[in-house]
Amino acid sequence: MVVMENEKITHPAPPLELQKPPEPELRQPVMINVNDVDFCYGTHQVLFDVNLEIPPRAVTAFIGPSGCGKTTLLRCFNRMNDLIDGARISAGSIRMEGRDIHAPEVDVVDLRRRVGMVFQKSNPFPKSIYENVAYGLRVLGVNKKSQINEAVEKSLRASALWDEVKDRLDSSAYGLSGGQQQRLCIARALAVEPEVILMDEPCSALDPIATAKVEELIYQLRENFTIVIVTHNMQQAGRCSNYTAFFYLGRLIEFGATSKIFSNPSERQTEDYITGRFG
Amino acid sequence: MAMLSESKHTLGTFEHALENLRNNVMMMASQTERSLNRALKGLMDRDDKLAALAIADDEEIDQLEKQIDKDGIELLLRFQPVASDLRRVVSAMKLSSNLERIADQATNIARKALKLNKHPALPEILLLTPMQDHAIAMFRDSVDAYVREDAQAARAIIPQDDALDKMNAQVSRQLIDRMARDPEQLRGYINLMFVARHLERVGDHATNIAEDAVYAVAAEDIRHQQVAARA
Repeated sequence: MVVMENEKITHPAPPLELQKPPEPELRQPVMINVNDVDFCYGTHQVLFDVNLEIPPRAVTAFIGPSGCGKTTLLRCFNRMNDLIDGARISAGSIRMEGRDIHAPEVDVVDLRRRVGMVFQKSNPFPKSIYENVAYGLRVLGVNKKSQINEAVEKSLRASALWDEVKDRLDSSAYGLSGGQQQRLCIARALAVEPEVILMDEPCSALDPIATAKVEELIYQLRENFTIVIVTHNMQQAGRCSNYTAFFYLGRLIEFGATSKIFSNPSERQTEDYITGRFG
Repeated sequence: MAMLSESKHTLGTFEHALENLRNNVMMMASQTERSLNRALKGLMDRDDKLAALAIADDEEIDQLEKQIDKDGIELLLRFQPVASDLRRVVSAMKLSSNLERIADQATNIARKALKLNKHPALPEILLLTPMQDHAIAMFRDSVDAYVREDAQAARAIIPQDDALDKMNAQVSRQLIDRMARDPEQLRGYINLMFVARHLERVGDHATNIAEDAVYAVAAEDIRHQQVAARA
């Protein structure tokens, strides 16, 4: 279980550091292992023979043109695609810390607790700020007030929102700005102490300042969580990820350290995409 | 393996800005070459007019260097280029700096020519001919490798700098020998030694250009490898 030791994260968020953190070695323990995965929506195949090893406690960015399958793969990691009729992994497997996430004994609710998700558009519940963060804990059956209080504060601090909302925890989450709402959604995901956080274009609806705050948060969170982010913003991938995977037409074209992908990619298609020659 | 994509960018303004930057570097290279040729011809043919033209060229080349830096910074700011595009912008800016310094060497040579031309011709000036040919060839080849994006040709230039350094050492020894034998011409010999030194510096900058060309094409930093190997 991941323990959030984020007391050192203070607010306001420190300025974005231009210098990248030292990148972890590629050949290290794998958090999520994607093996020979094909994926279909009904008869329409959208992923072809994808093999990928997502390293733990690092940010991995998925980039590629619309329709290349990056969001589909992201949604496979916490079986969100189970909710779509006819959507299925038709070949291969996805393992989290060595265990097949589609094995019969896997509890999907527990999987989604371990693998949280933040969406493109912030989607707070029509509840108070406090209740939004406490919601996941209540669903898990936690009722002890002091335990919930502690988790809410820790999550809001970890998402760099605490100082902005600590005096109005009972106000509606709808009263927050777009950027604050997105950070609230991140806090909500953190409250249940996940191991992996999936982010599907988390900044696409935010202004540059709110984007910088969320990016800074992603940068901080990578110390304790495995983060996978889908983004169309190439600069964002360059700024806040350690590893980048480039997808095209349902295939993984290239995966490697972000600094390598953005300075000297190995594949022509990656080069042409990131330099804006197609896509 | 690094690559330089041939296909055009979707964003036309970006494509145009990169093209413009490259054209300015090529224009600066051709003006620098003209200035160097004028300075050396002014020296060898004792033509003050050509030497004065070489000195006058410098101002225009300085302005081009500033323009390339300005355009490069704007490109980085507006388009945030990556991969081969980033290397193209960075190498263009580094190239312009080396071209400007070669133009400075041309100016220095032209100034020495104006001084030497005031006195009777020294036959020892012919000692400089092989150095002059070698330095100009290195400069031309390095710019050519950059323009053609030919890493192999660029790499081939690097070892040529050692030959130029040796020529410079040999010319210096010969001129020192002449100074001892004919102190009357001391001033003239010293000026010739300076010209040899300026030509040697042209070779250093041509080497830098070749190294930048390799970086642009192959994403490989080949600078200071001998130093690193010794360490």
